[in-house]
Amino acid sequence: MSRTSKPLPASPAIELRGVSRRFTDPGGQSVGVQPTSLAVPAGEIHGIIGFSGAGKSTLLRLVNLLERPDAGEVIVHGQDLTRLSAPALRQARHRIGMIFQHFNLLHNLTVAENVALPMRLSGEPAARIRERVAACLDFVGLAAKADVHPGRLSGGQKQRVAIARALAPEPHVLLADEPTSALDPRTTLDLLGVLADANRRFGVTILLVSHEMEVIRRLCHRVSVMEGGQIVEQLDIADGRIPEGSRLGGWLAEFGGAAGGASSAPIEPAPHHLAQESAHA
Amino acid sequence: MLETLEELLPEILKATGETLLMMGICLSAALVLGGALGLLVFLTSRGQALERYRAFNLLANGVINVVRSFPFIILLVAISPFTRVVAGTSIGPLAASVPLSIAAIFYFARLIEQTLRDVPRGVIEAAEAMGASPLQIVRHVLLVEARSGLVLAVTVLAVSFLSYSAVAGVVGGGGIGDLAIRYGYYRFQTDVMLITIVLLVALVQSIQFLGQWLARRVDKR
Repeated sequence: MSRTSKPLPASPAIELRGVSRRFTDPGGQSVGVQPTSLAVPAGEIHGIIGFSGAGKSTLLRLVNLLERPDAGEVIVHGQDLTRLSAPALRQARHRIGMIFQHFNLLHNLTVAENVALPMRLSGEPAARIRERVAACLDFVGLAAKADVHPGRLSGGQKQRVAIARALAPEPHVLLADEPTSALDPRTTLDLLGVLADANRRFGVTILLVSHEMEVIRRLCHRVSVMEGGQIVEQLDIADGRIPEGSRLGGWLAEFGGAAGGASSAPIEPAPHHLAQESAHA
Repeated sequence: MLETLEELLPEILKATGETLLMMGICLSAALVLGGALGLLVFLTSRGQALERYRAFNLLANGVINVVRSFPFIILLVAISPFTRVVAGTSIGPLAASVPLSIAAIFYFARLIEQTLRDVPRGVIEAAEAMGASPLQIVRHVLLVEARSGLVLAVTVLAVSFLSYSAVAGVVGGGGIGDLAIRYGYYRFQTDVMLITIVLLVALVQSIQFLGQWLARRVDKR
């Protein structure tokens, strides 16, 4: 999981321009995303961290228009998704992978059928689907489980299947919504390894939402900190360091590993974190 | 009792044929039309792919509730002019199939809508994120993930309408239930009553057993 492969800033793979999305929660409070902008260069792993209700999942879901913005532009690989017709948007979504906290696999399909699904939806030829399914299951280390149903897999294995499914159509962009929040610390580390690998080997741009500081710190090149529906801070953390005096550094001192208040179990630190781990102890 | 059985065998066979005819027609109508209606009601509900057609959702929900409010025997009589137009007659098993079909369509629509609600929202959303069209969501997600529930819904439908079809005797529809009412109930022939009830119990058990077996087989969750 080395971060030596920090990408050169190219034209952004994902660009949000002044997007906003307002909801009213049951208590009558206005929540969601305030007018916010974000640019993620191609090849970057970008984290979004914040407390519950900060609007981070909403922001992520704006990128593939699962959530439609009230205003603003959502540009993915040069294409403003908000201006597309429904069929054109579906076409664009074929190249935007997504994984979820609760995996969202189809339980009546086998592992291989799950991975094949996005390509079947976009009408790829059967031979090509077979080839990609085999390659992607191999990549996540689950080739042996191809004919098993997801109900018989562990949480970590399910998320690996979900990653294989997201990567099968060779997406430019992978959206990850709290992908490790339902998993134990060791499984979390394994999965972060898979995501980092996918980024390195396939150059897929990753936008990841998490409330776990460790996840962000180990995986991301840059991080956006969200509060009250807005990005309040953006930091370069490609070397795994969180600058002192930043809001994120303050949280780390106050809450340890987790921004959501849940204490994270101790994770064996990767070597390049050792120095700064003690600085924040 | 054996004597009665022998004597009544032609009647029983005829009644069984009538029951199967009525069931075949009303179940087919329910599967096709009721299934489609239930699917549309589900898809137009809040948060689903065709949410923008909420007006249809409200209207269809209203109609389903109204039709399901009618006690079946009243529906049977109330729509007899319509039955005459569709079946060309208002008596006999074919005529009885018309109100049976109407009731079954709306009954099944509600069952289907409720069964589909068991498919987790997140799974549907994952398919949307993959670029699935509403039709693809139906075919590749809803019908796949809800299939054991759908089999059980058909089972419940079949058992309910086997029972409903007994009322068809009112318009000369015949059938096993009608036989029980005419001989067993009106003529106090307890043995006929018993035979027909044994027959109905056997039918219901078979339908239920088959339905549950199939539902288990297709459920890989």
